[in-house]
Amino acid sequence: MTDVSSTLSEASPPRAKRRRAVLPIIEIAMLAVFLLLPLVLQDYLTVFMTRVLILCLFALSFDLVWGYAGIMSFGQAVFFGGAGYGVALLGRDLGISSMLLVVPAGVLIGFALALLIGGFLLLGRNPSSVIFVSLGTLTASYAFDRLARGWYYLGGQNGIPSIPQMTIGSYDLGEGPVFYYLALVILVAVYAVCRYLVRSQFGLALAGLRENEQRIAFFGYKVQHLKAIIFSLGGAIAGLAGSLYAFHEGFVWPNMLGVVMSTQVVLYVLFGGSGTLIGAVIGTVVIEIVSFWLSNSYQDIWPIILGALMLLVILFRPAGLISLIVSHSERIGSFGRPPKGSDHGSA
Amino acid sequence: MENLFAALFEILSFGSIVVLVVLGLGIIASMMGIFNFAQGEFVLLGAYITYLAHTAGLPVWTGMVAAPFLVGAFGLVLERLIVRRFYAAPIVAMLGTYALGLIIREIVRGLIGGLYISVPEPIGGSITVGDVHLSTWRLVIIVVTALVMIGSYLLLSRTSFGLRVRASLENPALARASGISTNAIYGATFAFGAALAGLAGALIVPVFSLFADLGLRFLIQGFIAVMVGGVGSFAGPVAGAGIIGTLSAALPWVIQPVIADVLVFVLAIIFIKFRPQGLVSGKGI
Repeated sequence: MTDVSSTLSEASPPRAKRRRAVLPIIEIAMLAVFLLLPLVLQDYLTVFMTRVLILCLFALSFDLVWGYAGIMSFGQAVFFGGAGYGVALLGRDLGISSMLLVVPAGVLIGFALALLIGGFLLLGRNPSSVIFVSLGTLTASYAFDRLARGWYYLGGQNGIPSIPQMTIGSYDLGEGPVFYYLALVILVAVYAVCRYLVRSQFGLALAGLRENEQRIAFFGYKVQHLKAIIFSLGGAIAGLAGSLYAFHEGFVWPNMLGVVMSTQVVLYVLFGGSGTLIGAVIGTVVIEIVSFWLSNSYQDIWPIILGALMLLVILFRPAGLISLIVSHSERIGSFGRPPKGSDHGSA
Repeated sequence: MENLFAALFEILSFGSIVVLVVLGLGIIASMMGIFNFAQGEFVLLGAYITYLAHTAGLPVWTGMVAAPFLVGAFGLVLERLIVRRFYAAPIVAMLGTYALGLIIREIVRGLIGGLYISVPEPIGGSITVGDVHLSTWRLVIIVVTALVMIGSYLLLSRTSFGLRVRASLENPALARASGISTNAIYGATFAFGAALAGLAGALIVPVFSLFADLGLRFLIQGFIAVMVGGVGSFAGPVAGAGIIGTLSAALPWVIQPVIADVLVFVLAIIFIKFRPQGLVSGKGI
């Protein structure tokens, strides 16, 4: 992999002749397709695609943490499901279903949970090993799953059914094209923020973390703080996705928190291509659509195919589907200029 | 008094089951530095082979004897074809072995059709000590675990193969320079770890019955145990497994099972956070 210093020097002088950038074309094409889909799809497929968009949001959160900062979070579903349960309780017990309240609440829950878990796992005097962080997050996911299953207040095995519909003002937001476009707007907004973030100097520091953590530490960055920040941010996005998901499906259940969901998101990102934001979106869309398509006739063998696909990608295409069309240097990309009057960017 | 004795026996037998499962995981983690997510599925395969022998009309114990060898051979094939590519990268190894595990688990799920299938104990009945009835089969599990541990210890500490294993563990580069094929040692170790898991699966299937998620249940427990005990030694994972197994079995007698289950993991993670090298630091036996 290219190390950070060479990427940095590449970034500053614009080369005379650049290769045609493919990423923006893919992004615009995807956006166009997403915009037009509800016009051509039947209603039940629009509902399905809404779910996919929300899962794309969830995949983005994991991609930010793993693909950019190199923190292996095997427990991303804790923030997704935690926020889902949180807003479900708001809806069930307090009757709060206004979008302006529940979505920020979901973001906050995801952020707080991630800060708590990430703070414990990542911060401290001794830097944590990659294995410890991944097993720690995995354990958290398992623990939350167990608690949700065993706790009567949270509905045990069955979860919380029949959450009221999300409302904006006096408008009831049920499944359908409106919810679809709402999810799309949120996805595009979050995507844009993430894109700005990973192309900024902060993003450069993150890429450095991923490639060579020690070197970034020697540069004087507070490596653990950087990690905790991006981990919490990822948690917040997962929380956003979780709160939308809970209201879209109308119920939450323990699997949303558990190991299955956590590994599912790893799969999305790995398959599409970690380290590119659009890769996470593509991976989610492809896997969900194939799974939807196969689930009627080949429900039993689908998990086997999924496992085999994952193995093949890891062995032969570690950079994911996206690496088939986007070159390595473009995937690494360039980063914003350092602010004037400082030597080492933002920290 | 009798209750206490029965509880202790219960705890001991569950602890030895965890030790048996974790031993293979720990050996692989120590040698190759990878956490094998497919280990739970090796347990499942061991259980499945026992079940196959039972349905074929053979006595159950034949399946139990065959399981470690078959699963070990299967592990060797997997190591040669796939797992060896992962040794340099622990995270990729986790994902890759997870994918392998997923494939194995879902195939077995397809074969047994999502059911819980009970397999009879080869040695049934119970032994009565005073007023307490102890299940004979659980006693057998405890004895076999003890034998396997003694056997593994002797293999590692007394044989020339064990010497080569320890050499490759402590200093792979020097071991290679001394003419030891670390490559072959890694293959053998992986197969050995898989065989232990297969044996564990075969022994516990009469207790837990056969279902597709049988291995998954022990996987996280196993990882935690290895981390608590300390990667890199023989004694570490065994000690970790003993502690985690005992706690997991003992706490539900005192507090609610769900809370107990989670509490064990939380305590373990906190312990690892503040003592990353685990109970037993250093390499060797």
